[in-house]
Amino acid sequence: MVNDACMIELCDVTKHYGKIRAVNNLSLSIRRGEVFGLLGPNGAGKTTTIKLLTTLSRPDAGVCRIAGMDVHQNSLEIRKIIGVVPQENNLDKELTAQENLLIYGMLHHVQNRNEKIGETLKMVGLWDRKNTVVSGFSGGMQRRLLIARALLPAPSVLFLDEPSIGLDPQIRRQMWDVIRKTGIDGRTVIITTHYIEEAEALCDRVCILAKGELIALDTPEQLKRSVGDHIVEYVDTQGRLVQHICKSREEAHDIARQENSSVTIRKSNLEDVFIKLTGGRIE
Amino acid sequence: MKKNGIWDAQTGEFGWYPVFLREMLLFRRKLLKLGYLFSAMVVPIIYLIAFGFGLGKSVQIKGVGYLGFLIPGLVAMSSMNNSYTWVSSALNLNRLYFKTFQVLVQSPVTASSIMIGEVMAGMVKGLFASSLIILVGFAVSPDFTIHPLFMAALLLNCFMFASLGVITGMLTKSHEDTATYTNFFIMPMAFFSGTFFPVDKTPSVIKAIIFMMPLTHTNILIRKSLLDHQAMISLGMMAAYAALFFIYGLYLIKKYNE
Repeated sequence: MVNDACMIELCDVTKHYGKIRAVNNLSLSIRRGEVFGLLGPNGAGKTTTIKLLTTLSRPDAGVCRIAGMDVHQNSLEIRKIIGVVPQENNLDKELTAQENLLIYGMLHHVQNRNEKIGETLKMVGLWDRKNTVVSGFSGGMQRRLLIARALLPAPSVLFLDEPSIGLDPQIRRQMWDVIRKTGIDGRTVIITTHYIEEAEALCDRVCILAKGELIALDTPEQLKRSVGDHIVEYVDTQGRLVQHICKSREEAHDIARQENSSVTIRKSNLEDVFIKLTGGRIE
Repeated sequence: MKKNGIWDAQTGEFGWYPVFLREMLLFRRKLLKLGYLFSAMVVPIIYLIAFGFGLGKSVQIKGVGYLGFLIPGLVAMSSMNNSYTWVSSALNLNRLYFKTFQVLVQSPVTASSIMIGEVMAGMVKGLFASSLIILVGFAVSPDFTIHPLFMAALLLNCFMFASLGVITGMLTKSHEDTATYTNFFIMPMAFFSGTFFPVDKTPSVIKAIIFMMPLTHTNILIRKSLLDHQAMISLGMMAAYAALFFIYGLYLIKKYNE
């Protein structure tokens, strides 16, 4: 049964590529209007999950639903309400920015196309370059154009697969501003990332994936709180980095006082959550 | 049902138009590069000079000068090569490397819209290359003429091989694979299907194989001025191949799954 608040639902979804189980019995639900993060290292199953939800892949088992519809039985209907920013840049690089949006707008039956193309290009700051062939754009500009393209048909659900991969920190922050704007109007946004700060900066809730399985799901704050708010770090006499996860600042200071060497106390982040839960690292 | 200008937005019947337009915009950019025109013409022109002006200068076939026989064959070959190669290469590259094919299959357009758009774009490319050879044909051979069956054969040939291009583009697992298909199927067909010599005097075993090749029937039909018994068989064969290739290409797009 789908309730009104649930926009996306995965029920016991499994997907294999040959002998590799990319997604293993994954179940989760995403609320309408939520900015939801899929966080995990390479090979965790994030992109496969996006492909399953965006009609590119069919699951071997289980069901994916968006707005109450089975994704693979209603693929044409689903494609009308989703927008996808893929991990790999799939713009037509020999076409101009405007031509890329024109074709996409036609494919997605966008009404008042020219007007909307103008508005969208202005939103991502590319209006002045509308007649430039995309191969002449920087990496950051191409990423912004990818987001503009996905937003053109005003989708109810926007999928962003590693939206800021390969971008320098300054451009990455510009990208986050664009993504924040897209979430403001009540759109459901799903972001895959292996950047901790990106998940913390953008997501209402985060699902941590490892080897195709769900490890944890909650708000970033709750996830961090569940393992401890503060981290005490120091290098021991043998040169190894030692970390203590503490439930409170007082506990962290108590541990720090007991150590003779130089000690750092910092707030915990989602990387610490991942390490605590899996023993591995995300980035 | 919402309408969106001259192309219907919601039915999918006109959903092929953006697929076709995209290919045409890319094709326009290629046309602006001199290399494209050169590459589309160079092979048939080499054959024309080598076989037509060299070897065939003193040859007559069925009462027609060799150039008059050869030029329709070169038109058929050129339309096959261009319709097939541009579609198969583009689809293969777009699917495996540029990932632009995924934009199409993630859009609310039907598989048949994608198929029609790709095939029509392939036909335009095939017809464009053929028209260059036709122009050369008129310039160099007084025996060369165009008639309705010539046009029917040319259009059907472009449709047939553009559809085959979709099949290859969807089946190949790397760009190198497309060269394998070209070397094993397209290249032999170009030489043994009656482009350069009449096939009716070949040994019967070889003739049976040759008559299985789709281009053989294009070469028969494109040289006919009347719809006689042989022309009707070739037209039927071409229509059957065209339908088969189109339906299988459509099936592959429909079943696309990563």
